[in-house]
Amino acid sequence: MKKIIIKSLLFTGLFGIVCMASCNKKIDDAYRNPNAAVVEPIETILSGVIGGFTAFYSSAGTGYGVQADGILLGRYIQYWGTTTNGENYGQMGGAVNSDNTGSVWAAVYYGHGQNVNKIIQWGSEQQKWDYVGVGWAIRAWGWLELTNEYSDAPLKQAFNTSLTQFLYDTQPEFYDSCRAACFRALSFLNRTDGAVSQANLAIGDAYFNNGDVNKWKKFVYGTLARSYIDLSFKTIFATNHYADSAIKYASLAMTNNADNAVVRVAGGTTSQVLNYFGPFRGNLNTATSTLRQSSYIADLMSGANTGAFTGVADPRRWYMLRENLNKTFKGVTVWAGTTGLSANDYPQHFYGNAVPTSNAAGVPDSSRYLFQNTSPWPLMTASEMQFIIAEASLRKGDNATALTAYINGISLNFDMLTTTYPQNIPAAAVITPASKAAYLASPAVVPAAGSLTLTHIMLQKYIALFGWGTQQTWTDMRKFHYTDPDPVTGAQVYANFTPPTGTNLIGTNNGNWVYRCRPRYNSEYLYNVPELTRIGAYQNLDYITYKPWFALP
Amino acid sequence: MLFLSFWCLMANAQEKTVTGRVLSEDNTALSGATVRVQGSNSRQTQTANDGSFSMKASKGETFIITHIGYDQLSVTVGDNAVITVKLLKTNTQLGEVVVTAMDIKRNSRELGYSVQTVKGKDIQETQRENFVTSLQGRVAGLTVTPTTGAAGASAGIVLRGYNSMSGTNQPLFVLDGIVVDNSTLNSNSQGGSGIGLASDLPNRNNDYTNRIADINPSDIETVTVLKGPEATALYGSLASNGAIVITTKKAKGTNGKLLVSYDNNFRFQKVTRFAEVNNDFGPGSPNGIPFAPTASASGQFISFGPAWAAGTKLYDNLHHLYKTGFSQTHNIGLEFGTKNVGFRASGQYFDDHGAIPNNTYSKYNFKISNNTKIGKYITISPSFAFTRSKNIKPLKGTSGTGGFLLDLYSWPANNDIRNYQDANGNKKLLFNTNPNLDYDNPIWSAYNNVSGDFSSRYVSTLGIDINPFSWLSVNGRFGYDTYKTDGYLFYHPQSYVVTAANGGQLDNYYRTYKGYNHTITATVKKTLGNFSGRLLVGQMWQDNETDQFSVLGTHITDSLHNGAWYSGGKALAPGFNPRDSNITQVSSRSRLLRNYFGLPNLLILRDNAYFGEASIGYKNVAFLTYSLRYESASPLPAASRNYHFPGASLSVIVSDIIPELKKSTFLDYAKLRGSLAHTARINDPYSNQSVFVNNQSSSVVPGFTYGFTNANEKLTPERQKTYEIGTELRFLKSAISLEAAYYNTLCTDQIAQGYRASYATGYILNTQNAASLRNQGLEITLNITPIKKPDFNWNITFNFNHMWSKVLALPSSIGILNDYYNSDTYISNVRGGLIRGHSTGTITGSTYTRNNAGQILINPGTGLPVITSGNSLIGDRTPKYTLGTLNSFRYKSWTLNFLWDLKVGGDIYNGTEQLLNTLGKSARTANRNTPLIVDGVLQDNLQNTTNPTKNNIIITPYFLSSYYTTMPDESFIQKNVNWLRFRDITLTYSFSQKMLAHLKAFKGLSAFFTGNDLILITNYHGGDPAVNSNNPGTGGIGGYGLDLGSTPTPISFSFGLRANF
Repeated sequence: MKKIIIKSLLFTGLFGIVCMASCNKKIDDAYRNPNAAVVEPIETILSGVIGGFTAFYSSAGTGYGVQADGILLGRYIQYWGTTTNGENYGQMGGAVNSDNTGSVWAAVYYGHGQNVNKIIQWGSEQQKWDYVGVGWAIRAWGWLELTNEYSDAPLKQAFNTSLTQFLYDTQPEFYDSCRAACFRALSFLNRTDGAVSQANLAIGDAYFNNGDVNKWKKFVYGTLARSYIDLSFKTIFATNHYADSAIKYASLAMTNNADNAVVRVAGGTTSQVLNYFGPFRGNLNTATSTLRQSSYIADLMSGANTGAFTGVADPRRWYMLRENLNKTFKGVTVWAGTTGLSANDYPQHFYGNAVPTSNAAGVPDSSRYLFQNTSPWPLMTASEMQFIIAEASLRKGDNATALTAYINGISLNFDMLTTTYPQNIPAAAVITPASKAAYLASPAVVPAAGSLTLTHIMLQKYIALFGWGTQQTWTDMRKFHYTDPDPVTGAQVYANFTPPTGTNLIGTNNGNWVYRCRPRYNSEYLYNVPELTRIGAYQNLDYITYKPWFALP
Repeated sequence: MLFLSFWCLMANAQEKTVTGRVLSEDNTALSGATVRVQGSNSRQTQTANDGSFSMKASKGETFIITHIGYDQLSVTVGDNAVITVKLLKTNTQLGEVVVTAMDIKRNSRELGYSVQTVKGKDIQETQRENFVTSLQGRVAGLTVTPTTGAAGASAGIVLRGYNSMSGTNQPLFVLDGIVVDNSTLNSNSQGGSGIGLASDLPNRNNDYTNRIADINPSDIETVTVLKGPEATALYGSLASNGAIVITTKKAKGTNGKLLVSYDNNFRFQKVTRFAEVNNDFGPGSPNGIPFAPTASASGQFISFGPAWAAGTKLYDNLHHLYKTGFSQTHNIGLEFGTKNVGFRASGQYFDDHGAIPNNTYSKYNFKISNNTKIGKYITISPSFAFTRSKNIKPLKGTSGTGGFLLDLYSWPANNDIRNYQDANGNKKLLFNTNPNLDYDNPIWSAYNNVSGDFSSRYVSTLGIDINPFSWLSVNGRFGYDTYKTDGYLFYHPQSYVVTAANGGQLDNYYRTYKGYNHTITATVKKTLGNFSGRLLVGQMWQDNETDQFSVLGTHITDSLHNGAWYSGGKALAPGFNPRDSNITQVSSRSRLLRNYFGLPNLLILRDNAYFGEASIGYKNVAFLTYSLRYESASPLPAASRNYHFPGASLSVIVSDIIPELKKSTFLDYAKLRGSLAHTARINDPYSNQSVFVNNQSSSVVPGFTYGFTNANEKLTPERQKTYEIGTELRFLKSAISLEAAYYNTLCTDQIAQGYRASYATGYILNTQNAASLRNQGLEITLNITPIKKPDFNWNITFNFNHMWSKVLALPSSIGILNDYYNSDTYISNVRGGLIRGHSTGTITGSTYTRNNAGQILINPGTGLPVITSGNSLIGDRTPKYTLGTLNSFRYKSWTLNFLWDLKVGGDIYNGTEQLLNTLGKSARTANRNTPLIVDGVLQDNLQNTTNPTKNNIIITPYFLSSYYTTMPDESFIQKNVNWLRFRDITLTYSFSQKMLAHLKAFKGLSAFFTGNDLILITNYHGGDPAVNSNNPGTGGIGGYGLDLGSTPTPISFSFGLRANF
């Protein structure tokens, strides 16, 4: 009988004892997610982060970057508008209860966010200083893009994973942080010790700078140059000699089109590897909003603007814009859509359907410029740097330097179009050295040094950044408050640019123009309410009209 | 339970052998009844499966015949050597043994908490193939919500309300002491890092059978429902939502004879309820101008055009989609037993062609179980069950994703839906030459946008019971539950849901579940004087692993022969098999993360626990039980992985302590009970971890970026504290019995999974201990037997349930007026959002904008209401109370059982009506030609003054369809929806032994008729208020009470025979 008791108890106890040792181990083994890694090589992380400049594409979120927001912001600056009368963004309205205009927010905090942090952290551990520098360069670009679009946002508390609510910091702090990140980036990009390797950087960087650290440095210098020229309206611009800083860094940045910071796509048959602006992805001809170029850019490039480049037909219009049945270039009024356009003036959309009113993609595909399936996407160009030098020099009174830079800026932009975007241009409209020279020889375009004005510079920059530089152009226009006069000539800098007013301006703006975007809805409007309330973004419908720091004296 | 018959061989000279049969009141054989000779403890036997017994006795001696659940009967032995007796069912549950946690059998007197048992026979009578759906109304505090009325639809089951806002609220299922899986496929794969579909779909788009439906209902002996955590404290975190304890039928002694039983059932089903649809108008634009349909966001016809011209031939399409469903069930059971060994084998064939076109569900079940007594002390009971099921169904979907029912409602009445394909099987085109731009006909869609599930399941169990002494028992329960399921979601290349460039879409998944668990307990019982003591210690181990391959592909390779696949629902192209993921273009395929390396994605959950339970009884009138469980579970980080929780309960039989109470003949039994317990609940595996997912941006190497979820290595288990007090009373010789319970559950440190915070975390979703809620309820079960006679018996049971709940805290990042929600419950904009201070059943959505006086504001420019978009509180799904009423009649050989299910209160979101409103098809849009003024005040800056301007703008909706299309979500909440459902009715006639005498092969024969869901009386305007927009794979509160395009529950009639050989 005793035996049985012992046996029975042993039977019970045995599993218990065996489990004490092995079960705990087995439980521990089952804790980590076996399906996905918690560490990945930074080389494999960088490519996705670069995709996040334009249109992030991961299994956990897509579309974050400058492109999606650009489709909407381009209506504020009248690059384009929809065909609909009374369209919200054409009327300078903001996103309400939607994630619209929140793509840069998502790109900087989430698409780049912790991924960039890990490139910096793990890159440092692995002494891949080039990756570390690249990480800081992307972070610097992000802070500037973010604050220029949204002004106030989380900065000091950003990326603290144990917080669920975040305090906002102000724009000057973003500018400082951007520059600090730039200098950190440069200090790492300058290093050649440790595991720095062009070939290795090229693995993660294949579709941007292809491992060329010098191009990354130019990208950083360009970011610095932007951070100074964006403040040109402010009194500190003069007192702190920011013009010199802008010129210095713009000079160190890209000087030819080969230096340009360009995001490329691999091409293929899936959305992931095709341009967000291209016909396959079809984001510019959706059922609800189909974009057409604005009358402002069409007129400006057709010589129809009475205040700038009057009477000069810009050869670049065939590259950037779309013709109508008259083979002329007309555009929509951004708040009124196609109202008032005659049938023959109705422009084709950017995918070039032969029937201009059709929203379907053109067959065969005749997309040009940024609107092709595999178009490279400029993030910053040598041409833009020349316009920064031109503006800063002109403000300093150095008209000669300004004129040289101005001409260079136009010329570089012509060259970028002819070398990078020669596709689908009608033979008769292809830019030749002669047509380019003729354009530059036109006094309405290139005046004598003494007659060079901010209008020339800012409007040529407006053209050169068409489509891809939407965010930067919006910053430029806001620092001129859209309609500021040139202090020298007294004429409006953005000649004949007419923002919506009266009933064409969204009512909730209380008669004011748009100056910032709301923080991303699904990030902040539901989950960071106290702080949004503190800054007025939650309760005030006209929050989008609050001028950012750079647009204040 | 093991009943072994054995002989007592004490005999004397006057004895003769008496043989007999013990039958129940409905003439079925009663096995396991004890037949004892009065005055002797040793001379007793038990009846065999056919109710027969044989016993030596002398004339004049008295047999005492007892059986659990029946009144005791005495029979004096006369001259007859053969006697037949009939036992009457008793209401007295005194001394009734119930199976509680860990397969522990306990006397119900001792229990300090609520336990309710449903007999297998009652479940089988309903003829419901998913036995879960038969429990509704039969247990107070238990709510079953079927996802749709489709064959093979899943059903969610919730005990005592929703305690987890993001984890599962489904109870644990335990089969003969073994934990078995009841998961429903969750198609969300968290960016490929989980085990959903490669397309990472929300659950609202499709339904999958909940896997407990694999169990053969005919194998069930009893189902015991353990509602509160105090009952399940021993099972720990796995059963924090309660437990459904299933005991299957076991072989009883048959004295070496083979007993055979066979029954069948033939069922017809019909869908009789529809949404209210207006068919007066044709397709057209908002100003009444007819136009060729253009791409609408939902892919459905917009009917804001002119009224049909006189003489237009209109079709009653509504009644041309569904057909009469037919199913058949065949059950066979074999039983064989000797003194020490018993075998039972059973098989079921079920085949259902549902009321929805192209909807079939078939199932084969096979089970064999054995009981063997080895030596003096050891009993082993192994079993093996096999199930194979196959379910084909049209994709449920929501608008624009293949929802055939919404296509039906919106279809123009001048087109006959039955004319849906051409001779070659191509989709019939109505307005566009490109099939992908022409809307999907509902019948075409049902045949061509399809999903399928194929499942093979094996459940092996082993019970070992060692009873060396009367005071010691050692019990082991070992189980291995495994199944393979594969399935697909297929969109035809010609469907509107996909583009022509897409070439069709196919989602395949291949899932393998392997669940091992064991429970080993040792129990010591000892009685000392007035005290009885019981001590149980044990260990439990659970190791569940789900492996999954999922592939999403487009460009179906056969799609070159557009549309040539189907004709009348049959595949034509040889070799076309949507179960095979190889039929898509290779370069188009995407997978779950590990699948790219040829490995399955895994979901592993391991849980180890040690537990103990001590109870002391005093004079068999008071019982105190204390339990403690130490648990360690793998989903939690190491620092918080080990946790423990106690439970205690007290039961006092007041009527035995104060005998005066029983002196009146009125009260027979009074018990007071109370219990309190803590338990824990754990997160879904990996939900607190931050991982890399695929980034598909252009790259020369495979790219990765962080997925949505922030890491939280500080996560701790959520805590649940419950107390329950209750009473059990019996009156008038148990003709009336009443059981009442009040419970109060506080859930703190709730794990909020997948909630959003500022992206400044660097992530989008978060998992934290950041919420709390309280659940309370009152449950009353009243059983009355108005008539109890040998030939006529009537019994009524009422199950009443009233619950209320309150969300106490939410993650602090969520605005005070904003809601916490599970994105799966999102229907266009409406969702099951939780708001602080409100119940767990709240619905949030857009509202009318109102002035301070609560009047609706009107846009002075349009005359239409101003809408506040976003998600404000618009409704509460929580019912005021529910009442299940079960009637049971027996008259001679006839029995009639039926169940009424009443729900009072609770709001329903009619998403179907909202969609139909935007399409100009809802009944609301019928009088669109009548000019009207929307009741409200103008938003003219006077709205909040004492004199707001009353709206006087006349609109005619016919010319201003935005009147309908912009109505806020709020206006589609139907408040206080009540229903009274006639759930089940069964009429059975048992042929008497006399009648069977001519049919020698039969030992018993009965015929029955069963009806399900025959009557639904409700104030709900839509199809069926008892549907769920999500399947139970969705965590948290889920989508009950949210109605969008779900097929209503069909009514069914069935009949069959039951025979014993």
